[in-house]
Amino acid sequence: MELFDGALVSSTIRMVTPILLAALGGALCARVGIFNVGLEGLVLVGAFSAIVGNHFTGSLPLAVLFAAAVTVLFSLLFAYMTIGLKANEIIVGVAINFLALGLTTFALRAVFGVKGAFYDKDMAGLPQWQIPLVTDIPVLGDILSGHSPLVYAAFLAAVLLHLFFAHTVTGFRVLAAGMNPVAARSLGLKVTRLQVLAIALCGVLCGMAGAQLSLGQVTMFTEGMTAGRGFIALVAMMLGQSHPLGILASSLLFGLMDALSIRLQGFSLPTQFTAMLPYVLTIAAMFFLKDRGAAASTASQQSAR
Amino acid sequence: MEAVKKLCKSLVQPLLAVAIGLLTGAVVISAVGESILDTYQQMWKGAFGSFYFFASTLARSTPIMLIGLGLSLAFRAGVFNLGAEGQMVLGAVGATLVGLYLPGPGLVKMLAALATGVAVGGLWSLLAGYMEAKFRVQLLITTLLLNYIAVLFAGYLVSEPFQDKSGSAALAQTAMLEKSVWLPKLFAGMSVHAGFLLALAAALALFWVVRFTPFGYEVKMLGHNPFFARYGGIDKDRVMLVAMFASGGLAGLAGTVEVLGAHYRYVDGALTVPGYAWTGLMATLLANSHPIGVVFTSILLAALQTGAMGVERNTEVPLELASVIQAVLILFISAKFSHDWWKNRKSKRRESHGVV
Repeated sequence: MELFDGALVSSTIRMVTPILLAALGGALCARVGIFNVGLEGLVLVGAFSAIVGNHFTGSLPLAVLFAAAVTVLFSLLFAYMTIGLKANEIIVGVAINFLALGLTTFALRAVFGVKGAFYDKDMAGLPQWQIPLVTDIPVLGDILSGHSPLVYAAFLAAVLLHLFFAHTVTGFRVLAAGMNPVAARSLGLKVTRLQVLAIALCGVLCGMAGAQLSLGQVTMFTEGMTAGRGFIALVAMMLGQSHPLGILASSLLFGLMDALSIRLQGFSLPTQFTAMLPYVLTIAAMFFLKDRGAAASTASQQSAR
Repeated sequence: MEAVKKLCKSLVQPLLAVAIGLLTGAVVISAVGESILDTYQQMWKGAFGSFYFFASTLARSTPIMLIGLGLSLAFRAGVFNLGAEGQMVLGAVGATLVGLYLPGPGLVKMLAALATGVAVGGLWSLLAGYMEAKFRVQLLITTLLLNYIAVLFAGYLVSEPFQDKSGSAALAQTAMLEKSVWLPKLFAGMSVHAGFLLALAAALALFWVVRFTPFGYEVKMLGHNPFFARYGGIDKDRVMLVAMFASGGLAGLAGTVEVLGAHYRYVDGALTVPGYAWTGLMATLLANSHPIGVVFTSILLAALQTGAMGVERNTEVPLELASVIQAVLILFISAKFSHDWWKNRKSKRRESHGVV
């Protein structure tokens, strides 16, 4: 058994997708000065509503759309609490996580009448796209081809988000709103509207992340199936300095470590240290890089009493 | 009279929050087609129905209370410590190893284990505080990250070097502590143990510190207005570091009493799965960081959880009823912050106009 091969990279890419999507969503929030701890809950809501959408419409595009829509609703609750009512964003984020866990479990009972997990063998998962020509390239074909559309969408989203921040006027305004809301407001920017927009977009991305989780590899929903991925996304966001391409790299690192841990179990080596590495790296990175997005949250720490 | 009025006023908000939480719970219960009244009856029975259940509620509230007390001190100082989970786990594993391998009589071992739990949890927490004080690395984020490192490291310790090899199943856990190290149960056959008394003592001690000592005053100043505190000559970093050590130490103690009083060994995941750390955070928020308040809110949250277990045993309503109610409680309470802020702003404006 080899440690590195094409299959490892391929499984890395699949594992990374939900984390990447959620981390990009978190970055959007961070860039407007909001530290969103509720990613975990948002992804969970997305995963559940994707299954519900698929069950009732039987159409995968509609299911993903439904997941995004429901998650946006949830993220607007977050926006209302943090921006509208000026509640502490971390507290609201923690509450959103609990609320998502509780409500999805209840909805699982109410909609499907089952406890623990919902699985329907007739339900179709997201298709695996075989890209013509690329599939035929020897090693690269296995790595680049045969993923669900959401996997490609995730990587595309990272690039698009980068272009959005770097090359569009709205992107600049979003950054300005996060860097110094008072100054941005004095220039006539609608800071609140930009913040709500960013949080809603974060909802869309988290909804897609959830859909990939519940419809990507397996077609099922289990209670609390995010299992900490939302928090990992949060860390990936910090390691990537809230920069879309940085997040792409850091998410890949997390995915690689994840895939590597599974491999290492075959060698009966302790996996805890490989799993620990991304967190240690993130802390180390924080010594050298000051996260621009999260800097805004220092001010809100004081209001936490 | 004034004091009574004040007490009533401070009670209105939490009671209203509880009422709204229960109301939301009622909505989701009816969504799954169960009887609301019956479910809440089961919940009450599961939490307080008999002395046995009441004792279980108190036992569950013990770690929540200790963590909540630690966090209340940190929050008062304006330090957002999200690392209670890692501090609790490392404290617990350190205490377990001392209890297992330190030679000497049982009582000495028990006290040494308790001290180790506090010290390890406190030092782990201090690490994040030190990085903030020295390098301005954000504490909020480092504490969150250190959780993962601590939990993984503890998982490594009990699955490799210190794993219990005696049983047939290779579970990730240490060997069983000998009986002399165990914290005594308060009542025979009940799950509440002496750790609960420690938590109560900690609450009283913290109340005394916050209310009557210069350090408590410094903490309060720093939390209320860091600029004024600096102007007044308060060493911000020193207060922050002490607050971090104390909050981490209490979290470590929470893990330790769980091991010495309930599990009698460190089992991987036994402390993280019930989510004590987040619940402790909620208890602090509900109590508005008041040490005596934390005693009541942590019992309330523990009762919600043990009650929900009773609900799951006897009805078709899932355990997560507790999560829904807790989340709504917190959302409501956090909205209150802004409500207060709004009121303050308005009254300030009135003062500046000289209307009053």
